[in-house]
Amino acid sequence: MSSLQSRKDEILAKKAKLAELKRQRELRQKEFTSNRQSLDAGELAAPTPSRVRRTEDLDSLISSLVDRPSSSSPAGKKRISDSELSREGAPSTPTKTYQDASTDTQALSFAELTTVYEIPVESKPEYITYSKGIQTEPWQPPQDSSEDSEGGADGAGKSPSRRRRKLSQREIEIEEEQIRQRLRQEIEEELRALQLEERVESEKARFPARALETEELNAVTSSNDFLDFVERSSKVIERALDEEYDVLADYALQSRDAEDDDEYVGRKGRRIKEVMQFDLSEAMGRKRMLSDIDFSPKFPELLCTTYTKSQQSPHTPPGLLNVWNMHLKGRPEYSLHATSDLLSCLFHPHHPSLILGGTYSGQLCLWDTRARNQRTGEPVQRTPLMGGRSGHAHPIYSLAVVGTQNASSVVSVSTDGVVCAWSTDMLTLPQEYLELHSPNPSAYKTDDVAPISMAFPASDPTYFLAGTEQGSILPVHRYDRAGAKAGVDSRCTYRGHEAPVTDIDFHPARGKVDLGDLFVSCGLDWTIKLWRAKAPSATAGSISGAASTVAPLLTIAREDSVYSAKWSPTKPGVFGCVDGAGMLDIYDISASSDLPVASARPSHIEKDAYALRSLNKLAWEKTQGKHVAVGGLDGVTTVFEVGNELGGPETKSEKWASVRKWVGRQSKMGE
Amino acid sequence: MQQPSPSEETAALLARLSSRPGVQSTLILSRDTGAIVRSTGLITAEDISEEGESVPNGIGGTDTEGKKKGTRNADAVARLVWNFVKSAGEMTEELNGESDEVKLLRLRTRKNELVVVPDAKFLLVVVHDTPPA
Repeated sequence: MSSLQSRKDEILAKKAKLAELKRQRELRQKEFTSNRQSLDAGELAAPTPSRVRRTEDLDSLISSLVDRPSSSSPAGKKRISDSELSREGAPSTPTKTYQDASTDTQALSFAELTTVYEIPVESKPEYITYSKGIQTEPWQPPQDSSEDSEGGADGAGKSPSRRRRKLSQREIEIEEEQIRQRLRQEIEEELRALQLEERVESEKARFPARALETEELNAVTSSNDFLDFVERSSKVIERALDEEYDVLADYALQSRDAEDDDEYVGRKGRRIKEVMQFDLSEAMGRKRMLSDIDFSPKFPELLCTTYTKSQQSPHTPPGLLNVWNMHLKGRPEYSLHATSDLLSCLFHPHHPSLILGGTYSGQLCLWDTRARNQRTGEPVQRTPLMGGRSGHAHPIYSLAVVGTQNASSVVSVSTDGVVCAWSTDMLTLPQEYLELHSPNPSAYKTDDVAPISMAFPASDPTYFLAGTEQGSILPVHRYDRAGAKAGVDSRCTYRGHEAPVTDIDFHPARGKVDLGDLFVSCGLDWTIKLWRAKAPSATAGSISGAASTVAPLLTIAREDSVYSAKWSPTKPGVFGCVDGAGMLDIYDISASSDLPVASARPSHIEKDAYALRSLNKLAWEKTQGKHVAVGGLDGVTTVFEVGNELGGPETKSEKWASVRKWVGRQSKMGE
Repeated sequence: MQQPSPSEETAALLARLSSRPGVQSTLILSRDTGAIVRSTGLITAEDISEEGESVPNGIGGTDTEGKKKGTRNADAVARLVWNFVKSAGEMTEELNGESDEVKLLRLRTRKNELVVVPDAKFLLVVVHDTPPA
């Protein structure tokens, strides 16, 4: 019994110890408790120490005892730290939880967005590599999505990378859709804005769309486009404004004071009327002398004039060639330049845009009005100035174009007696080069020939007449021919002028009667002479190589040096001349062989008694023959209109016959 | 051999044009936008501001006086002319097809005449008096 008692005591002691231990453990557990553990502890603590549970207790004791070393402080602490964190997080933010939830959902949505933004970055290369496949994608989406949803069910089985790609693809799709939508929106917005603008524009001033800034203005106004535009359009406008005839004129409304409309009938048909004057502007350089005039063969309203260098403004180009338009007053259509005084000019008869000019330095210049750089006025081609046999080295006072539409050449003659023929395609080297020598040197003590004028007969491009400073007119063959070498024909001279021959002109051969062998010459010996040219074949026929001298048919004595004489292109027997006194005289040999039928003087010379009077050149308009242009030392070009007896296209046939008769009479008298 | 610069030449051409007898005003517009590139004889925004600030004096005075004669606002004229040219262009296109274009417009009114030269990039407009008819 005692032993039993003692045993009971022992058990009690042990129980106490156990309780002690339990308490200690409980305390410990309380310290680091988790809910569950504390609950367990409560359960453990709650039952009274009964025999029924003794074994359990023991078990638990043992387990606790056994546990003790295993549940070592670090592990426990670790676990506790986790739980503590969670526990602390939960109670410390009870109020926050909702907020947190909301923020969390927001954060979630954000996260999605961020992944959307993130994924394209890493999947971009994919996008690029599969860009071709993507083109077919629009057909696949339903398949893909179904596959995807199926895959979602057993998605776990799929490799994460595959899933990711699927995901990214889908996201790309989504993203693309988004981008598309965004673009659509933007475009729509833009369209709406545009429409708005347009509405604004159409409703009221779309003007100015935007006023230009000064820099822009400068940029615009200095652009080539603008300069060209102004050049072109201002010409058009000036032509439009220069149009004198009022198209809206109503003759019923107003009795206009009757201008003498019978101006050109009867004897008044010989009237000359000044219609236009072209003066040089300040910018082109004043105090230039006019050196040559030519009308365009194609456009009857165009004429070109050349000038020597300006005495007043040495900075302007020395050589000036102006193309004037009769419908454009006061400014030239084109203003072209050369590096030396221009002495002669010519519109190319077969290429209306080409203009030729001969300079004092011996250069032949070719301008093309089609050239883009015409504003600078530089010639498109010019001959070399190297001397030798490559061109002229002396002033070119006379030019001619001979040949036909398809085969023409430019012939130029300089005062050293050099004759060159050029092709307009290549001015670097003359096609022909010929030096003229006087046939009988003893007469002039030198064999130099200084031609200052030249004329080709209409019938023969291989032969021309050269008027020289010595006063003789020499027939020149361009090529060797039977009985005569190339150069001056020694068997025939036209002797008559005692001073330099300033101009020669063959009668045009367009009428019913051929007067093509008739030519007029004028010189500084105050005379105008009419001649009949001997055909080259005829001179060859005259046997005995003795030189024959041809006398003029008619000599008209003048009261001043005559600088230019030209046949009318349409009327037979009519020619005009200009002289040092500033007079333009027009002769009609069938009417009077010693007095001009009409005379005129440019108005500015008429008014100013001390003006530079001398007129240098004269030119007829080539198709109608209604206009004559003259110009002189003061650089002013004056255009006259002549009455229909002196100009105009239609001519009675008896007129031609009477001129023919007159020529026959005169040549008989000469013999 | 010094030549006047191209812009000087252009300025001279325009000055020539505007100083012709009977010419009231000239105007150069950009073809696309209708912005005014040059104008004479019209009241521009600058003139208005200038007149507000400084009373015209000297050369400028005569200039603005000349402009006063126009008494038209450049912007307004530009807008009207631009629209006129545009509709004329549309008409031509519909009449003769795409390949055609307006080259010259002359508009005679009882009071004056407008001459317009449309080009690829610019328009030149000149308003001038006509002889009483």
